[in-house]
Amino acid sequence: MDQRDVVSHFTDILQEDPSMSTAVAAISTLIEFIQLNSAETMSEMRDKLKEATETLTKTDGSATSISSGCELFLRFITLAALDHPDFQECKSILVERGKIFLKKVGSSRKKIAKLGHPFIRDGATILTHSRSRVVLQLLKEAAEAKKRFNVYVTQSNPDQSGNTMHNELTAAGIPTVVILDSAVGYMMEQVDLVLVGAEGVVESGGIINKIGTFGIAVCAKEMNKPFYVVAESFKFVRLYPLNQQDVPNHFKYHASKLSADIDLSREHPLVDYTPPAYITLLFTDLGVLTPSAVSDELIKLYL
Amino acid sequence: MPPTESEKVGDLHEKIDTFINELKQGNFQGSYTVAHRTVIILRSIVSHIRWKNAGELMELIRREGKRMMDAQPSETAVGNMVRRVLKIIREEFAGSRGRNEEGDPQESLHKLLRAEAQTDDYSLPIQNLKPPIIEAIGELITELETSADNIAAQALEHIHSNEIIMTTGKSKTVETFLKGAAKKRIFQVIVAECAPFYQGQELATSLAKAGIHTTVITDSAIFAVMSRVNKVIIGTHTVMANGGLKAVNGSHTMALAAKHHSTPLIVCAAMFKLSPQYMCSHDQDAFNRFVSPQDVMKFSEGEILAKAQIQNPVFDYVPPELVTLYISNIGGNAPSYVYRLLSELYHPDDHEL
Repeated sequence: MDQRDVVSHFTDILQEDPSMSTAVAAISTLIEFIQLNSAETMSEMRDKLKEATETLTKTDGSATSISSGCELFLRFITLAALDHPDFQECKSILVERGKIFLKKVGSSRKKIAKLGHPFIRDGATILTHSRSRVVLQLLKEAAEAKKRFNVYVTQSNPDQSGNTMHNELTAAGIPTVVILDSAVGYMMEQVDLVLVGAEGVVESGGIINKIGTFGIAVCAKEMNKPFYVVAESFKFVRLYPLNQQDVPNHFKYHASKLSADIDLSREHPLVDYTPPAYITLLFTDLGVLTPSAVSDELIKLYL
Repeated sequence: MPPTESEKVGDLHEKIDTFINELKQGNFQGSYTVAHRTVIILRSIVSHIRWKNAGELMELIRREGKRMMDAQPSETAVGNMVRRVLKIIREEFAGSRGRNEEGDPQESLHKLLRAEAQTDDYSLPIQNLKPPIIEAIGELITELETSADNIAAQALEHIHSNEIIMTTGKSKTVETFLKGAAKKRIFQVIVAECAPFYQGQELATSLAKAGIHTTVITDSAIFAVMSRVNKVIIGTHTVMANGGLKAVNGSHTMALAAKHHSTPLIVCAAMFKLSPQYMCSHDQDAFNRFVSPQDVMKFSEGEILAKAQIQNPVFDYVPPELVTLYISNIGGNAPSYVYRLLSELYHPDDHEL
């Protein structure tokens, strides 16, 4: 299976099931890759997987979650290889473990929705930013639990994905209004809580999310509104940005723009970094975490 | 003639029912008594009622525990003790199976990746599980009983001579803490009287008898006096999972005033007060307890009563950003560290009973 097949398999999966997270699709592509691969040793397999991950991040999907999901998968392999000396046996065990991993992350959104919906009270007004499938599922779950609430979603330029979110929420019977990104300050006093997704959760407990999130977080902090983040655990990234400039370029800009030789200072970044001080709680499939608990989780994994 | 087994069980059920009735009436002074009685009852359940394996015992404890918790949902100490006992049972079970406790039963990314079969089969009958469990529960009771003293032993590190300390309400822990420090240090205490129950006044009398220079102020004077205060030390009813407090009403005011003046806020709370619940919203069910408004406005002022709505909440929520340090029987910790203490005390499967 060569690199072009990797990309086509990936895009096929995403087309079939648009609600699937890009990281989950990337991981199932990698499992497919392991199965069809002709590598004979562990290190060759690892190198090929690293190449495949590079290719996947070059597609225009969410680079942050793809790279964190794939890195977790690679880590997964490093853990397994130590156990078995025979390579073919290893391969089949890897594929099996990969499928278990996939199943677990597939069910993570449901777990999060169950954890998060007590935080949405009857009569609440929620503000969300751009389009996040995890937030969508959480809100749908709360609506199914017969809670009445209304949602304001930011239009979220440049791709105006807030409109898609609005359509999806309205289809689920939740009264939703799209607001301009610039209207967040105006709306904040009417809002009870802010709920956003994340493309990546960094070591400090902060998040990387669609551009505009940081502004909303600062506003929420100032007006004393709780700011909740919903993220699956495979989005935890081994990164510690100290400020906005520290976030690597391959997260900020589309891969196609990076490969073209253009002046990045004239390009508009797609994501920003929200420091942990502005985040109240994170709802993940590992439980409800305070931002300080996130680095503990990452240490447990990588040590 | 020693009581037969069925008599003992009957006695036990009666004790549980009395406890539940008292909980419903809200007769308790402080969460310590509640916690203590809960553990004693749980220990009797383990020793007197017949059970075949760990799974059955846990189910039994969970059932009785739920009954007690439902009697007074705002009293979190009951639930905390039930969860501690469940964790003890799990640990003893794992220990007797010879498996080293991995030290961390929490879900983690690491666990996710190792993808090993996670579930312990608790229905395996193990010989001699009862004595170590009873012993461990006995240790828990000792920990409860000595918690106030352990906290007071740390007093000298935090209170220095000629300091002015502010406190509110009447917390047994804080009282022992201050008296412990008073043995070797000379300092002053300002007590907010904490209307409408005026427990601050009782605390002030008790401290004055111990020879501490005490001043009583009204709650409205808290902000005005705060500029002279070096430290604020309060007790709490519960420590929530995010590091926030459920403390006596008036604590939030004091915490905000302390933040404004950059005065450190120290909370003295024993480990049994740590609860795995999060505060989802201010009007969350069973977060607060409302008692008779008689203390706020007497029933004799009937004319006004007919036109106004009067509430008398017992508790206050203090967010974790306002707290500087928690002093518990195992030492001092930052509020951001509370999640770690939670994972050591309770098993994640027990968070939702």
